[in-house]
Amino acid sequence: MYRKTAKALRDGFIKGEYTASQIAAYFLERIQILDQDLNSFLNVTADRMMKKAEELDIKRGEGKPVGKLAGVPIALKDNLHMKGEVTTCASRFLSNYQAPFDATVTKLIEAEDGLIIGKTNLDEFAMGSSTENSAFQVTRNPWNLSCSPGGSSGGSAAAVCGRLCPISLGSDTGGSIRQPASFTGTVGFKPTYGRVSRFGLVAFGSSLDQIGPFANSVEDIAMIMEVMGRHCEYDSTSLDVTSENYLDHLSTSLQGKKIGVPWKFLEDFDGPSAEHFAKGLQAFKDLGAEIVEVNLNKIKYSIPIYYILSTAEASTNLARFDGVRYGKRSEKAESIDAIYDLSRKEGFGDEVKQRILLGTYVLSSGYQDAYYKKAQKVRTLIIREFSEAFKACDIVAIPTTPTPAFEIDSIPDPLQMYLQDLYTICANLAGLPAISLPVGLDSDKLPHSIQLLGPQLADSRVLHFAHQLEKALALSSFVPPLFDKEIKL
Amino acid sequence: MSHVSYEEWEPVIGLEIHIQLKTRSKLFARSPNHFGDEPNTNIDVIDTGQPGALPVLNQEAVNKAVLFGCAIDAEVASFSKFDRKSYFYPDSPRNFQITQFDKPIIIGGKVIADVEGKSKEFFIHHAHLEDDAGMLKHFTEFAGVDYNRAGVPLLEIVSEPCMFSPKDASAYAMAVKAIAQYLDVSDCNMEEGSLRIDTNISVRPRGDQTLRNKVEVKNMNSFTNMEMAIEAEIRRQVRAYTAHPHEDPAKVIASETVRFDLEKKETVSMRSKEEAKDYRYFPEPDLPPIVLSQEFIETIRKEMPELPHERFDRYVNKLGLSEYNASILVNEKGLSDYFEEGLKTCKNASSLCNWITVEFVGRLKDSGTPLFKSGILVKHIAALVNFIDQKKITGRIAKEVADIMVQVQGKDPELIIQENPNFQAVHDTSAIEPFVDQVLSENVQSVADFKAGKDKAFNFLVGQVMKLSKGKASPDVVKELLTKKIL
Repeated sequence: MYRKTAKALRDGFIKGEYTASQIAAYFLERIQILDQDLNSFLNVTADRMMKKAEELDIKRGEGKPVGKLAGVPIALKDNLHMKGEVTTCASRFLSNYQAPFDATVTKLIEAEDGLIIGKTNLDEFAMGSSTENSAFQVTRNPWNLSCSPGGSSGGSAAAVCGRLCPISLGSDTGGSIRQPASFTGTVGFKPTYGRVSRFGLVAFGSSLDQIGPFANSVEDIAMIMEVMGRHCEYDSTSLDVTSENYLDHLSTSLQGKKIGVPWKFLEDFDGPSAEHFAKGLQAFKDLGAEIVEVNLNKIKYSIPIYYILSTAEASTNLARFDGVRYGKRSEKAESIDAIYDLSRKEGFGDEVKQRILLGTYVLSSGYQDAYYKKAQKVRTLIIREFSEAFKACDIVAIPTTPTPAFEIDSIPDPLQMYLQDLYTICANLAGLPAISLPVGLDSDKLPHSIQLLGPQLADSRVLHFAHQLEKALALSSFVPPLFDKEIKL
Repeated sequence: MSHVSYEEWEPVIGLEIHIQLKTRSKLFARSPNHFGDEPNTNIDVIDTGQPGALPVLNQEAVNKAVLFGCAIDAEVASFSKFDRKSYFYPDSPRNFQITQFDKPIIIGGKVIADVEGKSKEFFIHHAHLEDDAGMLKHFTEFAGVDYNRAGVPLLEIVSEPCMFSPKDASAYAMAVKAIAQYLDVSDCNMEEGSLRIDTNISVRPRGDQTLRNKVEVKNMNSFTNMEMAIEAEIRRQVRAYTAHPHEDPAKVIASETVRFDLEKKETVSMRSKEEAKDYRYFPEPDLPPIVLSQEFIETIRKEMPELPHERFDRYVNKLGLSEYNASILVNEKGLSDYFEEGLKTCKNASSLCNWITVEFVGRLKDSGTPLFKSGILVKHIAALVNFIDQKKITGRIAKEVADIMVQVQGKDPELIIQENPNFQAVHDTSAIEPFVDQVLSENVQSVADFKAGKDKAFNFLVGQVMKLSKGKASPDVVKELLTKKIL
């Protein structure tokens, strides 16, 4: 059952090959056994899942219509709210914080009979590229347990990669879905900014954050995007456009389509990753698409721009964690100022503190013009450069990451870690839909991926191109050997 | 307390007026905007700064801000935006306020106010939308926070430094309050905090063009207090400059924030501007800019009710009220609306105004309840005025009827008169004739004076008869009898 895509699982459930309760029990057992090695889940919501599965079985038994995600187990990154469950954001600060409401995505998934299976590990408050910044546990890469699954949505990537659930949700502020998707050989999609409601997502960089799915096929990504990609009145930045039909457009031919590649920007990109990138482009050519050069030189500024803008926003978004209303309150504090100082000191990890300090600094009077305001201007330039590029091509192709998965504890320098985001940040800065898709395995049996970016609102086009490429690359049996085994119930 | 020499020194005053907008829900949340409820009952996930909660702008608040902008003849911005203002305080649920830093919704505008009988224009710099904070409550062992007020929409109206006396400042503030009340955009109740005023004060030698350091005065809960506080701060600054005539003025008076100590009648330092925080303003990423079309603004403008200065003009020019009486009514919208209601059944506007503003307001003065909130119905006051005009009762009796109307609030004056025979005017000539005869026999000289052409003497005789009848005789009947008997 673990090899089934979400779509196949749902079809089997509808046909009556198995019940929703059987699906739930099966994947819960898989987590029980296999997640001991991975540490991808922080909280498995077994009771809630079994209850929903039983309700769904009754519903089907009564012949009532079932939802678009009927019987599909789905994991949520632990910065998304499920009412009544703890949302930790992998931070000591929120280790006891019970979400007082459901995120919009949680509501939409459950309304379509999806079965939420649990909450996955992440870098604290989604700040990191390895999931090593979690206050609770280090998640491992199913392809090689000594490697990182990437981050910050490393738990969600590892869970889908290890076939602990067919779909999971992550959040992507600078690459936090696509980089771990690349490291684990899963499909990871960051939709257009505003496509999926952020209501109930604990904010990191509000103008960059976007919720998106992981799956093992583009079709499964399309399936959940049809459920999640809709306007939400609780998020003022939610796009007020009718939800797209993703599945219907997947099979159109790519004959004559143009794939833009910023060769100049990729000058220094080489090694096995570059070979896999070339393999992906060749597959496009074989499908009848044309590779054209586009100018996206300003992407090279994206790392400094991103670390100014995202930390500026984060420094205020995280100001609410003060020990007054909820979460950690230092037991040593004896005054209001001490509550602030000590609770934050004890509750936050080093990376989070570092980014709050950086964000506070770039917004300070006297520095704001040099940093924050200048960064905003460059962001505008990057947006313009993309709109120019999309006049010459349908889709832009770039790598997802400079390298395949690295070993845990191998990058102690945060600045080196920030370079992980070199190819992913631009989509967040410009609000573009972008997908990471596996291309193949290298000699170390680690996956390599390609990234496809579309213009704003062209989410359906991105999925269409990715689906065609996925078919051409024929990577259907892309399961890590350690997890390519049946469990006994 | 020495008197301020306004010949030598010129105070310059600017006001920041916060009004809580009267909306059904909060500025960014669906929780109710309602004063006076149990702590932490009108809250939701946005007001308490829960992670994952997002602000959604309340259109009703935007509409009210636009209406206010139209009323003061300001430019309503076609593009305005929100910013985050960062500071840590327990009543701030996110530890940043959502305000409008450099792109406010209202730009410019002016307010006309009556200052001691003279009409003056005051200029607005801008007005912006922002959310209110919660309230700290201190107990003996601990402090708590009530977030009911957190997220209530505020319109902060920032004036130009265009006021030059405490009277200017209070006249301007009262005019702003009246406008907001007439538009029904705010209750503007200072006791409940729906109207809050900060003043910025500096003084300079008369004739100087440059402004000296300004001092912000907080903690004023009435217009009277505000005038006293401004007066005290001006006095303090003049005293300091006078005592140090040769020093750098910037060192004599520092930019700082003070509060007014009601008991000492002095301003007391709170914090200096050098300690002022860096608020690190930057655009609020969770809210798109407010973009308003000209058509939308015109739609709102069409909803404009009668404004206070328009009502003032009508009272003076159409109803013939004195400017003094007109402004007493207009400045208190509740009283003015009460008067308007009375006009529906009483055509004698000046007499109605007099009975409302002098007789009834006077009788209720010590009760603490304003007339328009009391149980006395204005249609009954209107009826009372009509009875006088119809000569059903005399003015003297009307005052006694008014006493009872205040004691037994809501009682119809017609019933009061019916129940008390003493209040019914005597029209019966046979009852009045003996009084007339008595007065004529006792005032031979006056009768002679009247015959000689002195009208005053006649009025005297009428008054004497009324006195004998204890005010009950119908004056018309008295006049008729007197005329008949003398001529």
